[in-house]
Amino acid sequence: MTRTQSNAAFSLDVSGTSTNIVRMPAQRARILISENVSTWCHSVMEQLEMLTQLPAGWDGYQGVHVTFENAYFTLRMLEAICGPETIAPQIVPGEAGDLQIEWHTMKGDIELHVIAPNDVSAWRALTGDDSDGEELELTNDFTAVTEWVREIAEPTTGAETTAA
Amino acid sequence: MKNDGTRPNYLPDFRNPPLNEVVLGVQFSSPKGYQQVYAGEVWNLFRSEFPRAEEHPAIAPAFETFGLPSKGGQLDFATGASHDRFWFLRQSGDELIQFQQDRLLHNWRKVGDQTNPYPRFESMINRFHAELEQLQDYLNSLSPQKLSINQCEISYINHIAPEMGQIVKASDWLSFVRFSNSEPEDFSISFRERIRDDDGKPQGRLTCETTTGIKPDSSRIIVMKLTVRGAPKGTDIESALQFLTKGRELIVFRFAEVTTDTAHKKWGRVK
Repeated sequence: MTRTQSNAAFSLDVSGTSTNIVRMPAQRARILISENVSTWCHSVMEQLEMLTQLPAGWDGYQGVHVTFENAYFTLRMLEAICGPETIAPQIVPGEAGDLQIEWHTMKGDIELHVIAPNDVSAWRALTGDDSDGEELELTNDFTAVTEWVREIAEPTTGAETTAA
Repeated sequence: MKNDGTRPNYLPDFRNPPLNEVVLGVQFSSPKGYQQVYAGEVWNLFRSEFPRAEEHPAIAPAFETFGLPSKGGQLDFATGASHDRFWFLRQSGDELIQFQQDRLLHNWRKVGDQTNPYPRFESMINRFHAELEQLQDYLNSLSPQKLSINQCEISYINHIAPEMGQIVKASDWLSFVRFSNSEPEDFSISFRERIRDDDGKPQGRLTCETTTGIKPDSSRIIVMKLTVRGAPKGTDIESALQFLTKGRELIVFRFAEVTTDTAHKKWGRVK
């Protein structure tokens, strides 16, 4: 299935235009292909694709597949959160089309519950911290979570190892 | 929110703007109880004014998110069966409604001899408001619900064309380019900027894409597409209309900034 991104009905970036404007330079005159270095991408894409195709009642009850809107929103969220070295998270489906992104490492735990687009509950706990962890309610700005992920779900740098 | 039809007097204004197409749109959660087989019933809501229909591939969900620097939207995945996107067109073809299970859009464009007047934003948004209410009422009849709008977008697409036979000199029209010696054969330039809500939190982005193009008569033009997309403050229709109204103002101001005084004279700037 091919899905287009343009809302314009008639302009040059849509096939079947009526104005017949030809883009110069041609948008795809040259395609540069670079290796995708993000370690999490492939795993996340595979998991999301599988979760959006779960059969009805997949959990033995009334569970429905992860909704496409939640899957797409999750991709955009992870693009804003994860660096190229971030380890791939686990993705756990909810029963109502929602999903949870989870990292569990030696350094701590992060859980991002995507209830709906722009409606995310975030939680993290550091290993050795006896508190109940830290919680945030987020919409479209995940700047705070980028630091959590860097601390918990990315490899320790050489400098940090030396300092430790 | 019923727009009173008055254009705010603080906005830049042009007698003959190079506007070729305007798009107002919202994206919403897939409605409960709705299936593609009901698309004809949705068409019936608008059919008296939009009697022609076409089928097109669906637009993928789009979300503006914020965090690490990212180009955004680089990853996509294939899914199974999907709803088509339907165009419901007026007989004249100058306006249409686009509908798919998670979007409603209203387009205006120039057609024919390109002299049909732009109905102006105030008129368009009032009509779009009515269309959203109609759709919401219909979906509510399938299963009690309101539209849950998660993203809004507004686009202004301008075709900037010199007089017939004249060359396209970018610096005559665009204030942010200056080619010192000779004009490039063609170019494509884009930039994005964050837009923020009243609390200073990122709410969406304004994107400006400018590229050269060739018309059917082989003359060259510059196409400038300005889009504001982001999340409304709430998921209701009122919040969406407020976002679109704000987006329109940002686009109009930015358009005036990125185009030259020379161009403004040609387009008859009055404010």
